[in-house]
Amino acid sequence: MTSLLFKTATRLILPLSLLFAAFMSFKGHNAPGGGFIGGLIASVALWLFAMAHGRDALIALVPVHPRVVVGFGLLIALATAALPLLWGYPLLHSFAIDNFLGLGLHLVTAFFFDFGVMLVVIGVSTGMIQRLSEEVPDESTGLEGDLA
Amino acid sequence: MTNRWIVLMVLLPLLTGVLSTPIVARLRLSRVLGVVGLSATLIAGLLLLNNATSEQAGGILVSQMGGWAAPYGISLVFDTFSGLMLCAAAAVTLCGYVAALGTLDRTVERRYFHPLMHFMLAGVNLSFLTGDLFNLFVAFEIMLMASYGLLCLAGGEAQLRQAYKYVLLNLLASALFVIAAGLVYGMFGTLNLADLMRIVRETSEQGEALPTGFTAVSVVLLTVFGLKAAIFPLWFWLPDAYPTMPVPLLAVFGGVLTKVGVYVIARTFPPIFAAGEAAEVIVPILLTAAALTMVLGAIMAVAYRRLRAVLCMFVIVGVGFALAGVAVGGETGLAGAAFYMTQSMIVAALSFLVCGQIENRVGSDDIDDAGQFSWYRAAPWLAVVGFVLAMTLVGLPPLSGFYGKLWVVQAAFTGPDETPGHSVWWLGLAGLVAGTITLLAALRWWTGVFWLGREDQTEEPPATQPASTGPRSLTLAVALLLAASLWMGVAAEPVLALAKDAGTNLADPQRYITAVLQPETTEPSYASTHGTTTPANDQAHRASPSTPEHHAQDSTPPATHADDRFGPNHPIRLRGGH
Repeated sequence: MTSLLFKTATRLILPLSLLFAAFMSFKGHNAPGGGFIGGLIASVALWLFAMAHGRDALIALVPVHPRVVVGFGLLIALATAALPLLWGYPLLHSFAIDNFLGLGLHLVTAFFFDFGVMLVVIGVSTGMIQRLSEEVPDESTGLEGDLA
Repeated sequence: MTNRWIVLMVLLPLLTGVLSTPIVARLRLSRVLGVVGLSATLIAGLLLLNNATSEQAGGILVSQMGGWAAPYGISLVFDTFSGLMLCAAAAVTLCGYVAALGTLDRTVERRYFHPLMHFMLAGVNLSFLTGDLFNLFVAFEIMLMASYGLLCLAGGEAQLRQAYKYVLLNLLASALFVIAAGLVYGMFGTLNLADLMRIVRETSEQGEALPTGFTAVSVVLLTVFGLKAAIFPLWFWLPDAYPTMPVPLLAVFGGVLTKVGVYVIARTFPPIFAAGEAAEVIVPILLTAAALTMVLGAIMAVAYRRLRAVLCMFVIVGVGFALAGVAVGGETGLAGAAFYMTQSMIVAALSFLVCGQIENRVGSDDIDDAGQFSWYRAAPWLAVVGFVLAMTLVGLPPLSGFYGKLWVVQAAFTGPDETPGHSVWWLGLAGLVAGTITLLAALRWWTGVFWLGREDQTEEPPATQPASTGPRSLTLAVALLLAASLWMGVAAEPVLALAKDAGTNLADPQRYITAVLQPETTEPSYASTHGTTTPANDQAHRASPSTPEHHAQDSTPPATHADDRFGPNHPIRLRGGH
């Protein structure tokens, strides 16, 4: 798994896959795709990277703890869902801007919900990968040997 | 009546859970956040319940997610029945949480105890609120995911073995549930509970047949919900799995989770899955299962020698009584079930916490071991609390267990509509027999623990025994739950009135249907005046942000299709055309 070909390829594939993930989550509002799919694509890319370069390289690439990513993503999604309540709309109400910044983009606030979902998926899957590929040789890891 | 704030019951625990995820290692902060979040949920529940009862619209608050009208979007419904359940669940979770703060090991507490607890309450509350069958599946999954984590939190061998069984059974049930939900959608083209109630009611009123296989789907759903509720043949996992948990978690699980299953049966079976042709098959199953759950559960409660298992069987007997009320149906039966479930949540949690106090003194939950302890010297008040608790579990009159049982047994003897031929006297008889056996079981554990101590036990307890009944937080939780239980017995009127209203609503789903489907906002003019189906695309939204109330109603997407699709004559005829 550490051949030079594979390592070089993943270096090129990673940014492309992340771009594709972003594309999928943007187009997901009215077409197949969305935050969940985008998150999965990004996770596959990160997983591939971790396979080629090792777990430490992945941690160096995403330096925050996965649970912070998950918490932040959930918070964004919740805030997008709940903020319309303050203006008299029901939960999850979505507002639309037809011509965003004059670029002809159709932007809906539901996108931020999708973005939060994407972060949750990335956080959960990278966390699981890190946990599964972890080697605990002795008690000196500072993790107290529990599920923390 | 539209009220967008009912979603707070899900949102508050969810938000607390999310906020406590990153700070899981900082226990003090997590604890403060947790107590604040759970108290806020309880207060929100009480305020909403107050709001719902002061409403003229039949005490039903509805919120359509994202502004999508009822048969298409997800509806959340807060009526007196779900309100009672929500408040009781929030109170029990708060007390169990407070008790856990002093009792749980710090290492265990750091294993995501705080977020899991909040996420489980979010799932439970969503199950109570939702008005949509698939959303109910989602709510179950949230609840179960969190409960899997909590069940193996302490991580002993016995606990992991039981957790494995619990996960496997629930995965099977979830698979069955989602298959059955798919079949229901195939039959009716909708999963909205109010819409399903409407279709089933209109179909049977016109004397037409329900779709082929409807009864089979009902049986599958009954299996799924019966497993969650632990009714007679499907209860086997409960007395094995639950006693392996730490006491505060046991209180929340035993108090709340089985009631979710019974609640869903009460909500969906009388108006939908036990209506029409399905009634011939489902109602006898429900009646028999209720009778066997009550009587056999009571007998098992006599048989067990470990206090935790005995109390688990009391939970199951309670499930049997609530199910009996649901199975008989009618206003009295359903009201009895509603009251009994509310009361039983609080008392079940209380009983497990008291069991925890006994264990803290004795070091095990074995009734014989506990009997060796000289309670009259060390903690006479615990014996008094235990006696009040035992009598509440049995349901003796001044205590809160009485009223629910009275209504259920009364309904069984008089029949759902008080016509002489419809009496289910044998179920009433089973209830009375079960009540007598639970009296025996309750006296057996109470006398075993507190009364029949060895005569020669005169010296002080050995120094190896823990010196107290547990941390102060456990005592506080017991005191709160005991006060709630006594209040529901001595001053039962407000809760009884709410339960009566819940029973009326459940027995006649018309108010629920009207409130959720809201015919006044489904005027056929919507599609023509707005020309769009997406509220996000609606020009009016940006044109008049100053009048949100007005166009929040106005922007309800075209529910008219529901009427087009099913037609005025045959509720589901037009499904074939799609």
